Amino acid sequence: MSGLSFILAGMLAAATPFLLAALGELVVERAGVLNLGIEGIMALGAVLAFIVVYHGGGHVAAFGLAALSGVVLALVFGWLALGLRANQVAVGLAVGILGQGLSSLIGNSYESLTITGIPKLALPGLSALPVVGGLFVQDAVVWLTLAATAAIWAMFRFSRLGLILRAVGENPHAARAIGYPVIRLRLWAVMFGGAMSGLAGAYAATVYTPLWADGMIAGRGWIALALVVFGTWLTGRIFFGALLFGAVSLASLVAQTENWAVPSQLLSALPYIVTIVVLGIITSNKRLLKVNGVASLGEPFGP
Amino acid sequence: MQRRAFLQTTAFAAIASAIGARGASAADPLGIALVLPSPNGDVGWSHTLVAGLDPVIAAYGDAVKITLLENIAEGPDADRIMTKAVADGNKVLIAGSFGYQNGAMQIAKRDPSVTVLHASGYMVAPNFSPFAAKYFQGTYLMGMAAASLSKSGKLGSVSAFAIPELITSVNAFTLGAQAVNPDIEVSVVWVNTWFDPAKEQEAAKALISQGCDVIFSNAQDTPSVIAVCEEAGVHAFNLNSSMKSYAPKTYLGCVATDWGPFFKASVDAHMAGNFVGANAFLGVADKVVEVVDWSSDIPADIMTRITETEAKIADGSFNPFTGPITKADDSEAVAAGVGMTDAEIVAMDWHVKGVATPLPQ
Repeated sequence: MSGLSFILAGMLAAATPFLLAALGELVVERAGVLNLGIEGIMALGAVLAFIVVYHGGGHVAAFGLAALSGVVLALVFGWLALGLRANQVAVGLAVGILGQGLSSLIGNSYESLTITGIPKLALPGLSALPVVGGLFVQDAVVWLTLAATAAIWAMFRFSRLGLILRAVGENPHAARAIGYPVIRLRLWAVMFGGAMSGLAGAYAATVYTPLWADGMIAGRGWIALALVVFGTWLTGRIFFGALLFGAVSLASLVAQTENWAVPSQLLSALPYIVTIVVLGIITSNKRLLKVNGVASLGEPFGP
Repeated sequence: MQRRAFLQTTAFAAIASAIGARGASAADPLGIALVLPSPNGDVGWSHTLVAGLDPVIAAYGDAVKITLLENIAEGPDADRIMTKAVADGNKVLIAGSFGYQNGAMQIAKRDPSVTVLHASGYMVAPNFSPFAAKYFQGTYLMGMAAASLSKSGKLGSVSAFAIPELITSVNAFTLGAQAVNPDIEVSVVWVNTWFDPAKEQEAAKALISQGCDVIFSNAQDTPSVIAVCEEAGVHAFNLNSSMKSYAPKTYLGCVATDWGPFFKASVDAHMAGNFVGANAFLGVADKVVEVVDWSSDIPADIMTRITETEAKIADGSFNPFTGPITKADDSEAVAAGVGMTDAEIVAMDWHVKGVATPLPQ
């Protein structure tokens, strides 16, 4: 298998944990709320999903429980940040630390155990193509994540719900004045974001790397958060950013196996550099950045 | 200035004796604190350190009291926790990660009655011994086995950081492989992280996709690499503790470390009051490094050669780093017939010829 086909075959799966978490955070931030707790929510989702699969509960139940745990942590965040109007940055960090601590505690006796992942599904015809064929052999979660990406893009682009969420994020006072329940909508968005982060964690621990090790999320939640900002709150760019990050991560490993004379430290930094530079160039238009940015992001809202 | 220094010294002495008085009545068990960089799992580095205390417990029973401090981040946290462990009366401190070095050394200097054992460092004091394993002796044997099983002639290694300890492991692996097949090629992926199971798996998959059919998991604490290799049907081995249960079909073996003999000897010396800090660089001869769980796939003739080589390493008649050794840039590293000294080995910062991946500078 050539290096290129290896990257093409693996990049969608590599991007999926980032993409799931970033899509959730996109909805949260579009509604004007900043939840920095993704990393911890992912960690809790990861360990719970792992435990379910380990004890034979199956992947569907595992993803369900992970999403549920994400919703619970998101509700803790929502109660403090939306209900009590506490500082969103502080509450988000606290919830993140809580999630990580809980994941260490719960996962203590499962440290370094492994499970089996889920089979990959091939798109008939396309998967037989040379070089790019691997792109069309992915597990079910990857396909569903792609569908979710399209659905969220369409929601913001075409649906009334998308417009309402954006209104709530842009100007909560105006949204409330025309009769929308701002806090309740924001809470739904936060719960959705929590569920997606939980799913991202579940994917990381039960499909992508089917093992549990404390700290295995290893900063992926923060990268997802950064992708939302660098993708200027646009679904397409976030998708592109996640895919780019996944592809360059794999490329940096392939470069070493093909014995390129590039220092491995530089290669390890490459996914971050390339993603920042590329998305930075795309978003260099300040006016567009202002148009796409969420006006009331992170500001507590009280009627 | 002198007076001030004197006052400080007396103050320290007073505090030290106060702590000592609280910690060390004759009937009290000897407190041994083990500080670990990661959680104590079923496998991996931390696990081997914990298991290394078993002979101590077996020999002394209730006369020793073990305190495990798991998942302690290197840095100020570790310093604080180690200081507290000693203040709580522990007299033997085992600092299980390189990054604990400075804090542990301060403790050793402050209180000469404490014995400190420190993993993979270089500082030595009368009551402070750094310890490290000669993994390269085991990876040389693994290289022989790997070359005999490889059909593609390409071997791979997922390695954490390009530091001398890991470079020597890769080099000895390559030399061992060349002893069986002179044309063998080794590719290395430096993942530049001690801990990221997902990245380690990606690296292993990348190596496999390039045709490497035996993979060396160099310093991964979780079975990330081993599990992927089982799935892909390629042989794999790792360091420290056996991961055979994660790859029942394709497990090649484990360059295991058993710290039991060293910990036991150190505690014996501490109890007898004659502990002397020294650099403990221990290998097959010390029964610290041992290859276990050899795969039954290895051809019998190669296995015989491996056993013979292992015996020669154990009795000191063979050093894997004996010249002629050529560096990857074709310059001469070691002249024919000359063996590298321990000091040269721990400072190794070049790849031998046959490692195809350039070494990061």
